[in-house]
Amino acid sequence: MNIYVINGPNINLLGTREPEIYGSETLDDIEKKCIEQGLKDSHSVKFMQSNYEGEIVEWIQHAIKENIDAIVINAAAYTHTSIAIHDALKSFSGFKIELHISNPHLRESFRHVSYISPVVDAVVAGLGPSGYSHVIQLLTELKKQYNEA
Amino acid sequence: MNNNKLLIINGPGLSDLSNFNDYGYEPLTLEKLQNKCLETCKSLGMELDFFQTDDQASLIKKIAEGAAECDALIINPVGYSHESTFDLDAYTSNIKSDTLKNKPVIEVHITNIFHDNEGISEPVIVSKSGVGFICGLGVHSYELAIRSIHEKLNHN
Repeated sequence: MNIYVINGPNINLLGTREPEIYGSETLDDIEKKCIEQGLKDSHSVKFMQSNYEGEIVEWIQHAIKENIDAIVINAAAYTHTSIAIHDALKSFSGFKIELHISNPHLRESFRHVSYISPVVDAVVAGLGPSGYSHVIQLLTELKKQYNEA
Repeated sequence: MNNNKLLIINGPGLSDLSNFNDYGYEPLTLEKLQNKCLETCKSLGMELDFFQTDDQASLIKKIAEGAAECDALIINPVGYSHESTFDLDAYTSNIKSDTLKNKPVIEVHITNIFHDNEGISEPVIVSKSGVGFICGLGVHSYELAIRSIHEKLNHN
């Protein structure tokens, strides 16, 4: 499987930004684990981060063009604001998972609305940094399941 | 060494899973779901108490009673958010109890509960108290929750 893991604004500060919420692992640590986990199941994992909304939209469009199998997206703060990312994801027909390190529903009320949730297959939140590699691990089984069905 | 004990609570309506056919377990049954959870727990060396009730009062009672005996909780409260009869306060206060305070709690749903939103509005009130939240992965919502809890319990 070809998998895009797309990360939104401020996630590059992971490990230093509010470690009591997001943990002390850095984005590099998470990327390494995702790629390692992917290799176990012969997935190609492309791990990306941007602070720019438009760049994220372009990556999703690229995923559409390249027939990528799955997108795991942590749109961070854009989750709660971006109709552009909502629209782009809508046009992607592969498997889509919205991921958050913390659980936005337990935090400030401005984080309670997600423009992403209605256009993805699944939402995973609050599992900490290891949520990423757990999700990558699961994608193999989900794929198997769909192939058998 | 004692095995970690996990409690999984399934709420009203989950006795019949025949509507959930999109997830490769056609037809999905509670028994298949339970077996899948047992299999995952066994492979991780965890004990499992798998519980389902169609009665809201029993659901809330089980959270209170079960919490004392388990190391972690996975709960599928189903449609509490759109059932006006559901006692959300009782539910929330039981999940926020001292017994569960330092234990991992993950709310799971089989389907993506945000799909039914008409337009983009504030989603249903979910996970006000739980630590984690997973929806839309079918039986794998449970599997992901179990794996994540196992990791949490063994890293602390």
